[in-house]
Amino acid sequence: MSRRLPLVPENTEPLPSLKENQGMLAWVSSVDHKQIGLMYLMVTMVFFVVGGLEALLMRIQLSQPEFNFISPEVYNQLFTMHGTTMIFFVVMPFLIGVGVYLVPLMIGARDMAFPRLNALSFWLVVFGGILIYYSFLTQSGAPDMGWFAYSPLSEKPFSLNKGPTYWALGLLATGISSVASGLNNIVTILTMRTPGMTMRRIPLFVWMILVTSFLLIFVIPIIASAFAMMLLDRLLEATFFTPAHGGSAILWQHFFWGFGHPEVYILILPAFGIISEVIPVFSRKPIFGYEFVAGSTVAIGLLSLGVWAHHMFAVGLGDVTNLYFSLASMLIAIPTGVKVLNWVATMWGGKIIFATPMLFATAFIIEFVMGGITGVAIASVPIDWVVTDSYFIVAHFHYVLYGGSMFAIFAGVYYWFPKFTGRMMSETLGKWHFWLTIIGFNMTFFVQHFLGVMGMPRRIYTYQDFPYWGSMNLISTIGAVVLALSVLVFMWNVHVSRKRGKKAGNNPWDAWTLEWAAASPPAVHNFDLVPPVRGRRPLWDLAHPEQPDEPNAKVVD
Amino acid sequence: MEILQLFNAGWSFEPWALVFASVLVGAYLLGVGTRLNRHSVLYMSGVLVMLFALVSPLDYLGRHYLFSAHMIQHILLLLIVPLLLLFGIPKSTAEKLLKIEPIGKMMRVLSYPPVAWFLGVGAMWVWHMPSIHDMALNNNSLYITQLVSFVLIGMIFWWPVFTPIENRRLNPLTGTLYLASACLGCTILGMLITFAGAGLYTAYINPVDSAGLLALIRNDLCITPGVDQQIGGLTMWVPGCLIYLSASMITLAQWYGAPDEGVSAARQEAA
Repeated sequence: MSRRLPLVPENTEPLPSLKENQGMLAWVSSVDHKQIGLMYLMVTMVFFVVGGLEALLMRIQLSQPEFNFISPEVYNQLFTMHGTTMIFFVVMPFLIGVGVYLVPLMIGARDMAFPRLNALSFWLVVFGGILIYYSFLTQSGAPDMGWFAYSPLSEKPFSLNKGPTYWALGLLATGISSVASGLNNIVTILTMRTPGMTMRRIPLFVWMILVTSFLLIFVIPIIASAFAMMLLDRLLEATFFTPAHGGSAILWQHFFWGFGHPEVYILILPAFGIISEVIPVFSRKPIFGYEFVAGSTVAIGLLSLGVWAHHMFAVGLGDVTNLYFSLASMLIAIPTGVKVLNWVATMWGGKIIFATPMLFATAFIIEFVMGGITGVAIASVPIDWVVTDSYFIVAHFHYVLYGGSMFAIFAGVYYWFPKFTGRMMSETLGKWHFWLTIIGFNMTFFVQHFLGVMGMPRRIYTYQDFPYWGSMNLISTIGAVVLALSVLVFMWNVHVSRKRGKKAGNNPWDAWTLEWAAASPPAVHNFDLVPPVRGRRPLWDLAHPEQPDEPNAKVVD
Repeated sequence: MEILQLFNAGWSFEPWALVFASVLVGAYLLGVGTRLNRHSVLYMSGVLVMLFALVSPLDYLGRHYLFSAHMIQHILLLLIVPLLLLFGIPKSTAEKLLKIEPIGKMMRVLSYPPVAWFLGVGAMWVWHMPSIHDMALNNNSLYITQLVSFVLIGMIFWWPVFTPIENRRLNPLTGTLYLASACLGCTILGMLITFAGAGLYTAYINPVDSAGLLALIRNDLCITPGVDQQIGGLTMWVPGCLIYLSASMITLAQWYGAPDEGVSAARQEAA
């Protein structure tokens, strides 16, 4: 399958090695989008392991009723840090990082529009993360008020420790980083496309990153100002969120979910983009209904801005408010369903190759649809009232975020690893990783649906010995251990393949988007000569001049 | 039965509404002609929806009892009616109209996207300032001005995105941004009204019960002033936003449906 394009020469400038003289400096001072992208991926991997260990400790504590493995105080800190880490320091920076690496390559550009801003975004995430984790070393420990930090719990009289202050400061830094990378992406995509790469031909991954970036610059300022207000409350005795002094605790919830719900789509839209790249290549067919996938993304982006109050059905906003938000939330199922149909229709009748990226992409569709269906169910107010704050919700959003975003992330890593490093990942280890993930993931989270309906609340450090609760929790914990094992296999695979993997060549998957025309790994300047773009699949057109996607397209020099 | 009572009350065939509608119809018959086609059907349905909003109980309730009824009327007049009217004007008529010096000059200024955007979103914000809204309810000519301005400003707002002269429309991506930001503008206002707490618009707290409907509304339908205001705010927010959203979907669909710039250029070269 490795067929090299004559246009692009072999890469003679490999990425700098740490062992060289000034190797470390070459990374730290880098403004190259590929190096920054890789650093994003490495840092998120570290945070992924840390956040995963926190989850594992929680699962061990819950493995049997009235277990005394960790104290309630530590448990509270663990679930707060687990949620914060996975959202802000794993999924978000990973997707932004993959975008930073791939967007310029996919549109045939030399780098991002603002390379230094790009580096700033990355280092702000790193230091934001360090700041938050530093709180573990303070006397009073890490933040313990949940990743949603509801006031008044996060306010001074209820959280006298320093954790929440570190939390708000660290997340403020990453918020600035997100807005900066959003702007950087938008300018890059709008202004730096190679001739012929019209907005109607950009790869769907780039399109999703564009919509996500607009969401970032619309909604991150909401939460960033809320963090600033929270800091004012905690440090300067302001009372924005303390009702006793004329503030409003509900206001925090509005700010938090006004950001928090679009955030869910910030976490899933780029994942949709990855899936929309992987599925056509491994089905050997162009994507079915490019226009619908692109258009429905805009619809999801716009709808996501106006549905946050479905996180607040139990607050008491009134029946009318609940009704409207319930209806609006259910509407999101339509554009999302359109996408699922498009992916399935792309696979339909294709010559499907079940390499590891495709396995994860296929599983993504199944697991994500399950999370989506429970999502539509809890958009209905009466059902939400029954299961809110129970393990049903935990199961729902893990199906969306692990079964959705993380599965897509794994698919993306297996798919683009040859581009990142020049070597293939091991398929054998990849299949082990995949099947362990499927077993571990479903074992961990599927039973939690039942636990939730049976009434087990979230965020409790232990529970009484009710019928079946102990055994179901034990199943869930064993699943979590299997899931942890699968991550170990994955990391081992990355480690081994980076050094000894099969040489990949430029285009091991016989894919069609521009990044595969660059060398693997790409030279510092990406392309010597960008292949001509006359359609949505430039490398297909190049390899099959007799059968181009758009036969009438004008040749752009 | 109870709902029917609301429908029977307050059909108000006020002369100004009928005059406004007949002016619109007359202008169309003179300017475009009497042929029955897609354009004229869209235009006339726009006029009919407008008449419905102006003379049906919706108007009466919105003026005397319910803020939410006013908001539905408002959405119809500002977002739906102008769109139908605009789709009803054929390209040739619009071109002829713009050639008339004062109209063309005026429209060049008004349809400049930032101006049109601020007029469209501004109309919503200004007319819903509580003091101005209460003033309009007590002053007949101001009330008429409000409703007529909804229709006219609505047409100016939609003009950059859906002008009948297709090659003058905003680039679809810019158009989507234009609509999305307008949606954000009305979302924020809807949010403020929804969560402000009851009694923002004083006229609706204790309305003069001129038609004897208050007991029905308050006791049987359980619409308290607070609930009424929430329905109003949410109507502006959710269905209002959905209209902007559907419009951006239409612009995107037209964009993808039209031949690519590169393709059309190649065809021209070949021909």
